[in-house]
Amino acid sequence: MENVKPDRIKFTGDGIIIFHDVAGAMKGERTIRASDHEVKLVAPPPELRMGCDLALEFNLVEQAGIERLFKEKDVPFVRFLPLSKNAPQMCDIVKVTDFGKWVMVKAGNMKISFEKDSGIIVNISGGGCPDIPYLNAEMVDKALTLAPHPNELGYTLCATMLERAYEEALVIFSGGSRS
Amino acid sequence: MILLFGTVPDKNLPLTYGQVRQEGDNLVADGRRFSRTQGTGAMISAALAITNYFKIESPYVLVAGDIGDGKGTRDLYKYLTDHIVEMKPEVLTMHYSLPIMALLKKLCDTIKGCEKRPFMIADAGAMYAAKGAGLAGEFDIFTPDPSEIAFLADPQATHPAYISHHLFDCDADKIPGQITDAFKNKSAAKLLLVKGKTDYVAVNGQIVATIIEPNVPTLEPIGGTGDTITGLVSGLVFAGLDPKDAAIFACRTNRMAGVLAQPTPATKVKEIIDRFPEVAKNNYCAWSGICYNG
Repeated sequence: MENVKPDRIKFTGDGIIIFHDVAGAMKGERTIRASDHEVKLVAPPPELRMGCDLALEFNLVEQAGIERLFKEKDVPFVRFLPLSKNAPQMCDIVKVTDFGKWVMVKAGNMKISFEKDSGIIVNISGGGCPDIPYLNAEMVDKALTLAPHPNELGYTLCATMLERAYEEALVIFSGGSRS
Repeated sequence: MILLFGTVPDKNLPLTYGQVRQEGDNLVADGRRFSRTQGTGAMISAALAITNYFKIESPYVLVAGDIGDGKGTRDLYKYLTDHIVEMKPEVLTMHYSLPIMALLKKLCDTIKGCEKRPFMIADAGAMYAAKGAGLAGEFDIFTPDPSEIAFLADPQATHPAYISHHLFDCDADKIPGQITDAFKNKSAAKLLLVKGKTDYVAVNGQIVATIIEPNVPTLEPIGGTGDTITGLVSGLVFAGLDPKDAAIFACRTNRMAGVLAQPTPATKVKEIIDRFPEVAKNNYCAWSGICYNG
């Protein structure tokens, strides 16, 4: 089956990656393109300029996968940001629901539930990106301490939010305070 | 025909198109098997339960393996855009997929050339793409959960992970206002089915139904119980129900199945899905006044 090739001219992303310097931005662009993600070299908006004059526009939802790719390929970057003016920041609110024998931890649009005594992950809920059913298959029925981390396998913002919920679940399971 | 579109979490599953049937814990289409658990598989299973109940044509599915890198998503959009005119689906439900706005826009442009426009339903990544691309008005039904209606209500947000904190409070009292805002911002389909502790059905900005009973709080942690509502409403629309009634039936069906399954947070969604035929048999005649020999 033939893949749809990205239209580089028309591509418009909703996130931006800020780099330390131009060389970093160009290396970042090459790395992203080689992995078939869509990306565009742009000038950073004035309010985001940090001494460099090149940035990359990308699909915000793919942040987790691109961050991991940069770590694997040793591409230094400053930060990932949503592009729109006055854009909201990533949700950092975590909510915990006690179901007696089980606890559900919610971060953003993602929920992870585990058994209190064993730490076994019993369900993952929420989200709409393709890596969530995959993470569900890889993590559910495993102990929190032994399961793969969402940020090791995930690619999307849904996985990023699941990582937050997972980290809070680990804290709760290890006897830490609940948010 | 009803066409169900989405990714499944098996990177080895190639693009697959065909009529679907269930075999044990798997779904089968065009000779290929894939899981009926969380996500697109749960949605398909729920729709299949409805078509089986009404003894109507089983759904066709267009699925591809995708573990989040978007490869399967791109294959799906490419195939559907190339073939939708000849496929002529009456109902098209788009589900888990990487929200790639440009690909959805191209598909929607192609759909304008269809002899008859399909009834369009979106949830999950396809709904995110529709909102982000300003294409929500092209859809007949969205099925957001509480965090997703907050996302639809936020004109700046392009993903539910990035929504304004005041919208993320998930205070149930805020949902009616968020529904109004989503319609005002043109970020809503014609009908919104907001699934949560209280289910809301809103048409063109007006809440026309709320469903609060039976309340089964342990459905919330179970992955896939929102996906099943999307599948149920899809199957019910294809069966001929008015969209509003289909939305109400879908919510009631999910809740009643929850009562029958007596779930804990450790219950798997297939245990809920397996109760749908019983719920339909016991209730649809009374709910609709139209009785089938199910």
